[in-house]
Amino acid sequence: MQAWRGSILVILAAAAVSSAQVGLLSPAEEKIQTAEKAIQNNPQRYQNYNDLAFALVSWAREISDAKCYSQAAEAVEKSLSLAPGNFEALKAQVEVLLGQRRWKEALECARPLNQRTPDDVPIWGYLAEAAFALGDYDESVKATQWMLDLRQNNARGLLRAAELRVVHGYLDGALDFYNQVYQQVPPHEVAQIASILTHMAGAELMRGRVESAQKLLDQALQQFPGYYLSIETLARLRAAQGNSREAVDLWRRRNQELPTPESLYGLAQALEQDGQRDQAKAAYAEFERAATPLVDQPANANRELVLYNVTYAHNPAQALRVARLEVARRHDVFTLDAYAWALADNGQYAEAKAQMEKALAVGTQDAAFFYHAGVIASKLNDRSAAEHYFKESLDLNSVSTVSAQVRQELQSIETRDRSGQAAARGK
Amino acid sequence: MTKRRAKLALGIMAIAAGTVIAGLMTVPSGLEASSHREAPITALDTKADITDIYAFRSYDANGHDTNPPSITIVMCVDPFLEPANGPNWFPFDPGVLYRILIDNNNSGLPGLIFEFRFHTTEQSPALYTGLAGFGSNPNGTNGVVPPQINDFSNPGLNLLQSYTVTIEQYPQNSSAPPTVSSTSQTLYAVPANAGPRTINYAALYQQGTYTNVGGTGISVFAGTVDDPFFIDLGGAFDTGNFRTGSSGVPGVMTAAEDATNGNFAADTVSGYAVNAIAIQVPISMLTSTGNVEPATSPHATIGIWGTTNRNQVVVLPGTPVKSPTRQVQRLGNPLINELIIGTGAKDFWSMSTPSGDSQFAGYDLNPVFVTAVDALYNVLLPGALISPPPPRTDLLPLVEYLPPIAAAGTKAGPIADMLRLNTGVPPTAPGSANRLGLLGGDPAGFPNGRRLADDVVDVTLRVAVGGVLAGNKCGASHNSACNVFPNNALGDGVNVNDVDLDLATDGVTNLVEPNTHFHTSFPYLDYCPSGRNRVHIDPGDPGCTDAGSPINCKVN
Repeated sequence: MQAWRGSILVILAAAAVSSAQVGLLSPAEEKIQTAEKAIQNNPQRYQNYNDLAFALVSWAREISDAKCYSQAAEAVEKSLSLAPGNFEALKAQVEVLLGQRRWKEALECARPLNQRTPDDVPIWGYLAEAAFALGDYDESVKATQWMLDLRQNNARGLLRAAELRVVHGYLDGALDFYNQVYQQVPPHEVAQIASILTHMAGAELMRGRVESAQKLLDQALQQFPGYYLSIETLARLRAAQGNSREAVDLWRRRNQELPTPESLYGLAQALEQDGQRDQAKAAYAEFERAATPLVDQPANANRELVLYNVTYAHNPAQALRVARLEVARRHDVFTLDAYAWALADNGQYAEAKAQMEKALAVGTQDAAFFYHAGVIASKLNDRSAAEHYFKESLDLNSVSTVSAQVRQELQSIETRDRSGQAAARGK
Repeated sequence: MTKRRAKLALGIMAIAAGTVIAGLMTVPSGLEASSHREAPITALDTKADITDIYAFRSYDANGHDTNPPSITIVMCVDPFLEPANGPNWFPFDPGVLYRILIDNNNSGLPGLIFEFRFHTTEQSPALYTGLAGFGSNPNGTNGVVPPQINDFSNPGLNLLQSYTVTIEQYPQNSSAPPTVSSTSQTLYAVPANAGPRTINYAALYQQGTYTNVGGTGISVFAGTVDDPFFIDLGGAFDTGNFRTGSSGVPGVMTAAEDATNGNFAADTVSGYAVNAIAIQVPISMLTSTGNVEPATSPHATIGIWGTTNRNQVVVLPGTPVKSPTRQVQRLGNPLINELIIGTGAKDFWSMSTPSGDSQFAGYDLNPVFVTAVDALYNVLLPGALISPPPPRTDLLPLVEYLPPIAAAGTKAGPIADMLRLNTGVPPTAPGSANRLGLLGGDPAGFPNGRRLADDVVDVTLRVAVGGVLAGNKCGASHNSACNVFPNNALGDGVNVNDVDLDLATDGVTNLVEPNTHFHTSFPYLDYCPSGRNRVHIDPGDPGCTDAGSPINCKVN
């Protein structure tokens, strides 16, 4: 116990330094301090440890620091030792597992809690979140529908529903839900407002509505300057606009503190797009060093690693190895897409097509998915399907990260058609 | 802003029961009693809160059948309406779909559904109140205040509600879609009773009672009425802290008190109104055979429940859904959700369907409520009251088609909470009806359906502790009979619904049953207390009786 308390004190000390800079503690930081004081006053009260665990989970989500989840797990363990089976500790346990991306375990822990207390909206949320991450969208939809039926306008349910609408391709409907949550957030909750605006921008960007996305991001950054998610999305927007130099700057700004393997990959891609080959090479190397040790971990960057090995490192075997590891864990659309892409890179086009069709069947309106599907169809000499997928990709988003490649592919098809026609005439 | 502060929102989106009835006193009966704000979801949405469901074979003042024999079903919603609470009073919610459902093939699924939808019209938008009236001059007070409201077209009935009734009839043993028919007749809901100056409530009550609607043989009524439910609610939810009568033990009745057509404890619901939807349907329309079946027929018993529903926000547009609405609440047997279902599952229960009730069997067969009653009386009357041990299979007739309610040989069907009614049992004359229904030897009463005057609270208490059941084993070693004092004498001291004390003031003189205080014809419900003169009888107030003598209601 003392060990983890010590760790928390270190965190709080850091928090104090940071807070001194802004004169404010985040809500999670305040809750950590309150819980810690309560534990000092009454170390035998199990609820104090639950409070601490929830606060740590919140904080972990705020700062993307996995260490906080470990400390939250220790607090849960302490609570359960004082009051075995206490309900709140079991809920906190699920939140920890979700934060650690241990979705199957989270699902197994959440199900009995849901059977015990089916009126608990957050527990339905746990089920929905875990199922969503695992790619069990029907289960996620059912759980989310219960959330909305139990409490029609609850923000947590609407946000989960919005994410489900995004992945199923109902972008306008997703924006509607995001907007409903936006209307509920108190004006002083600038971080939440920025988060919602940024997700709305992401949905707009997904279909190439750059101007609308820009306005939303401007609002988000005005509300909450420096918000990392807004910066990441803005970097993608700049890339879509062809302004790779500014995209690089934005990624570098994003990575100044607590970079993630995913954000390192974003920087490397931007550098490559900007023609800074040496720096891109170094950035990809840094990404690979960060992502590779995580390959067997629940929290990983395997999707990016697959794409990296296919598009940059040209290591098809490694791409497929990583993809198979990940698809054994979950079958969300993004994992299926990466798996299909790796299979294709290894010449297994028929299986690649099957996996790609599974991903597309969900309905996600992602231009890259259709690009990948087009390439796979092309490799299978299905010209008609390839052309359909490429055109669909451009129709969805004419400024996507793959739009240039899509245009090239379409041009190649046209060139081949012309060559074929000429050859036919020559006969 | 620090970078860590800038991380603040990082996780936000990621989080993101004839012959069949003859054996009543010796056979299992049931568990039961009212549902005012019983679940968290209806505590937040009182307009959709079903308080009670009643279903009984219709009768006249002499206890004779209607012609043709029919069943009256009453669904009450929106609890504890204070009649004085203007200026808008208590309209039905146009956003709520109110449904009465009938299972007539023992499946736990509806074979017949009656749907009610309401619409509100403002007749006098400039008027400052929903109800206003003065005098009999057709022009009112020079056009300022309308004349007393005595019909639905009176401009003083500012907030006028009309409603439609839709009937969905599902084919037997088929998955074919239902036959749907709707009323074309304009039906009006009876408003609250603001007071004798403003409204001739009795006239509207009469005008708002529609018979043979659309030539269907069905009668309907919707409106604000006196809440027919009666209970010492304050005592009940002060952890069973009932008043002490002549027995000297709280919540334990003497034989004399038990037989009294009066109360020694105050009826907490007295003087409060409720919104009621009532429908009277020929029995031939309800049974699967299309006939009035004898009580011994396996086709005579039906299951009845009510639901309230609101539009549903769907996660994915275009997703096939069984219904475009979400169920807010359901109610069949009284008090199931209040006393049986765990707090963490009350909303889930409310939003589930009866056909899926096997998932709640654990609650039904081992009610925590019974354990609580045992624990309390172990202190109040040590060693005298010990209930039968779980599993309480004696309670199954409440949730399956079993004797003593259904005839022997009736298909039991799945565990499903519905109010079961053997439509073959003839009605009991109002003057002879026993408030304890089946337990009191009255085969036409609860839990064979539920009449307005049935004392479901006392019945529930006694059935819950096995006090009326032969065969159950009570006592410390569970080897002695249960049908003994005090198990068979529990009660809250409120035996009857408090009569609307201002009836004479309101000009009502002859519509009330002498024994049960309810009316003797459809819709049987008592008039809404007037807002001006309503009386809530509280502990210590006049309005109770002791051996026939008026007393102030017990405080302790």
